[in-house]
Amino acid sequence: MSVRKLSIELFLILATQVVPVKAQVPDPQTPEQKIQELERKVEDLDQRVRVSDRTRELEAESAADKARSGATVGAEPTGITIRSNDQNFLLKIGLDIQLDNRTFPGESSVPFTDQILIRRARPAISGTVYKYVDFYLRPDFGQGSTVLYEAYMQLNYFSRANLRVGKFKPPVGLERLQSDDDTSFIERGLPTLLVPSRDIGYQVSGDIVKRRVSYTVGVFNGVPDNGLSDASVSDHRDYAARIFLTPFLPNTNHPLSGLGFGIGASSGNDDGIPLPSYKTFGQNTFFSFASGVVAAGHRTRLAPQGYYYNGPFGIFAEYTLAEEGLQKGTVRRSIAFRAWQVQASYLLTGDKKGFTTLTPRKSFDPKNHGWGAIELAVRTGAFSVERGFFDYGFGTVATSPRSAREWVGGVNWYLNRAVRISLDYGNTNFGGGATAATGGNRPTERALLQRFQINF
Amino acid sequence: MKRTLRIGWSLLTATAMFAANPSSIKLLNVSYDPTRELYQDINAAFAKQWKTKTGVDVQVSQSHGGSGKQARAVIDGLQADIVTLALSYDIDSIAEKARALPANWQSRLPNNSTPYTSTIVFLVRKGNPKHIKDWDDIVKPGVSVITPNPKSSGGARWAYLAAWGYALKKNNNDEAKAQDFVTRLYKNVPVLDSGARGSTTTFAQRGIGDVLLSWENEAYLALNELGKDKVEVVVPAISILAEPPVAVVDKYANKHGNGEVAKAYLEFLYTEEGQEIGAKNFYRPRLEKVAAKYAGRFPKLQLFTIDELFGGWQKTQKKHFDDGGVFDKIYTPGK
Repeated sequence: MSVRKLSIELFLILATQVVPVKAQVPDPQTPEQKIQELERKVEDLDQRVRVSDRTRELEAESAADKARSGATVGAEPTGITIRSNDQNFLLKIGLDIQLDNRTFPGESSVPFTDQILIRRARPAISGTVYKYVDFYLRPDFGQGSTVLYEAYMQLNYFSRANLRVGKFKPPVGLERLQSDDDTSFIERGLPTLLVPSRDIGYQVSGDIVKRRVSYTVGVFNGVPDNGLSDASVSDHRDYAARIFLTPFLPNTNHPLSGLGFGIGASSGNDDGIPLPSYKTFGQNTFFSFASGVVAAGHRTRLAPQGYYYNGPFGIFAEYTLAEEGLQKGTVRRSIAFRAWQVQASYLLTGDKKGFTTLTPRKSFDPKNHGWGAIELAVRTGAFSVERGFFDYGFGTVATSPRSAREWVGGVNWYLNRAVRISLDYGNTNFGGGATAATGGNRPTERALLQRFQINF
Repeated sequence: MKRTLRIGWSLLTATAMFAANPSSIKLLNVSYDPTRELYQDINAAFAKQWKTKTGVDVQVSQSHGGSGKQARAVIDGLQADIVTLALSYDIDSIAEKARALPANWQSRLPNNSTPYTSTIVFLVRKGNPKHIKDWDDIVKPGVSVITPNPKSSGGARWAYLAAWGYALKKNNNDEAKAQDFVTRLYKNVPVLDSGARGSTTTFAQRGIGDVLLSWENEAYLALNELGKDKVEVVVPAISILAEPPVAVVDKYANKHGNGEVAKAYLEFLYTEEGQEIGAKNFYRPRLEKVAAKYAGRFPKLQLFTIDELFGGWQKTQKKHFDDGGVFDKIYTPGK
C-alpha cells in the first residue's frame, strides 16, 4: 500500500470518528457542504502526498545524476586517489621516502664516511584523464638535490600499442625497470651501472600473444650509463628496444608461470654525452675515466635478462654488455664494459614473491597475529672492462680497477605493502689496480646498509 | 610488374573513394526536452531526402534534456554535430566556453537561426476546476502551478519571462511589481523538475498541480495523448514569442566529417516540408505559406519578444538566472 493511499484512508477513518462527536452541537454546515469540505481536504492531502512522492523521485534522479558525474576520494595501498564515478578520470598522490644508514666496517673502509641520509624523497602525482591517457610526475628531493625523475604521459587506447612520451626509464636493464621499492636489495647490482636510468623520448609498448610477449621500442636523447639528463648534447638519438617473454603467464597455476626472459638493447651515437663514473654497493665511486677522455662514436648496449618466481622463491639474473666509443686526443676506440649478476630470494613467511610489489598476506599487526613478510636474499655479480681501456689511456690503474666482484646478503621485513625495513651486507673485491699509493688493488669494500622505506 | 602496379593502384583508389564516400553517416542532434517527436519526424524525412539526393544513408541520433543541461553536456565534451536548443543563450555558452562554433553562429541561418517559434500556454485539468483563464489566475493562493527549474530548463526560462513580461505590461513596466508577481507565482510551485518533459510527467502522469506552464507544442501533444476528457489547453491573452535556435557545432561536425550534412539538416528545417512537419508538431512555422495553411492550428494572442522587454538573452540570463540572480532570491525550495 502506498503512503498516499494509507494517508487518505487514515484521514477518512479520523473524519468518520469526528463527525458523530461534532454532531452533538449545532452545526451550520449542511451534509453536502461537509462532504464537499471533506473532499477538498482529501484532495489537498492527496496533492501533498503526490508532491512528496514526486520530490523524492526527483531527488533520486538528481542523486543518480550526481553519482554519474561526481567523484570518489579513496585511500588505497597504492596511494591517495580521487576517481570520477564514470572511471574516466583519476588523480593519485603517492610518496616514496627512504632513510638509509651506511656503515663501512673494517680498516680498509676507513676512507668512506658512515652516514645517515635521505636516499630518496619522491612525491608522485599520477592518474588518468579522459579514460585513455595516463600521466606520471615524480621529482626527487633526496640527498640535498632536486631532480626530475619521471614526467610522462601515456596513451593507452590501443592495448597492444601504448604510446608513452616524456621522461622515463628506457627499456634496457631488467633491474632498472624494476621499481626501487620492489628490488630485493637496498642498492641495485653491477649490470645496472651500464644501462640508462631515465631519458627523454618516445616509446611504444604492448603485450601481445595473450600476454606471453611484451615488447617496447623507443627513441631517446641518450644519457650516460646509469644517468639521466634533461637535455640533449647532440643531434644524435639513442634507439632502445626490449622483448620479454613470459610463455606460461596466462595460466597462473602453471609451475612455470613465473618464468620470464628476454633481451634489452640500445644503440646510438654517444658524441659529447658526459662520461659516467661507476659506484659500488656502498655508493662509493670505484671507476672513472681519465681527464681529456670524451664519448665519441657509437655506443651499443645488450642486456639479456630473466627471472623465475615460484611461491616464496625467486631468482633473477641479467648480463649487460656496453660497447662505448671513447676518444682521447687522436686515439679513438670502442671499449667493452661487462657486468652480470644473479640474485636469489626466499620469503620465510610463505608470501608470494614476484617482479612487482610484494603485498604481505598479513600486514604488521601483532595483536592480531600479523607480522608482515620477511625475506632473505643473496646476490653475486661482477664488473669488468677490457684491457684496452687502460692501454689507450682512457683510464688509469691508479684510479680505476679492471674488475670488481661483489656479493650481497640481506634481509627485508615488509611490514605491509607500503612500509619496509631492510638490512644488507655487501662485500666488493677489486682486481687490476685502483690504488694510486701502492700500485696494488683497491681495498675491498665492506658495507652495511640499513633502510627504512615508505612507498605508496 | 605493370599489371601488379595497375591492380595496386586500382585497389588504392577504390579504398580512397570508399573512405571519402561512406555509405552511411551518423549525426548527433542534442536538443531540449519536448522536441523528441518533432525530430523523429524530421530525421525520417531528411534521411529520405538525403538518400535521394546523395545515395547516402543518414542516421540521426537524438539526445534530449533540459536545454541548459544539454548545453553543459556539450561544453563538457558531448560531441554533438547539431544543437537544437530552447534558447540562444545556451548555444552562446557553447560558443563561448567550448569554442565549438563561432560567436556569430546565429547569423548563419535565416531568422536568427530559429526555423520555428513557439510560446507558453497553460494546460489545466478537464473542466478547468480552478477557473484559470489568464496569468492573474495562476498567482492566486491555492492554485498549484507546475513548471520546471529555470536554472536547467529553457522552457522554464521562457515561462518565467512570459509571466514577468505580462506583469510588466500590466503595471506600466514597474519592475518591482513584476518581481512581486513572479514571486507569488513561484510560491504556488510545489516541485521543480529539471526539464519540460519532466514537468509534463509531474502534471499528467503523477497528477500533481492545477496548471502546467507549458510549451505550446508540449501542451497540444499532452492534449492529444491524454485526451480531451483529461486536460484542456488555456491560451493566455498575452505571452512571449519563444524562439528556439539551431546550429551546427563546427568543432564536432567537422571532426566527424559531417559539416556538409549537418548544415543541410538544419537547412531542411526551413524548407516547406520541414516547416510542415514543424507545424504538424505544433511549432509555429516561419514560412508564410505554411503559416497560412496551419493558421487555424495556432490561437492568436499578443506576443512580445525577449529583445523588446528584456534586452536580449545575455542581459536577461545575468539578471534573472545566473547564481545570485532574481530567481535565486524569489524561490526557496520547499517553501
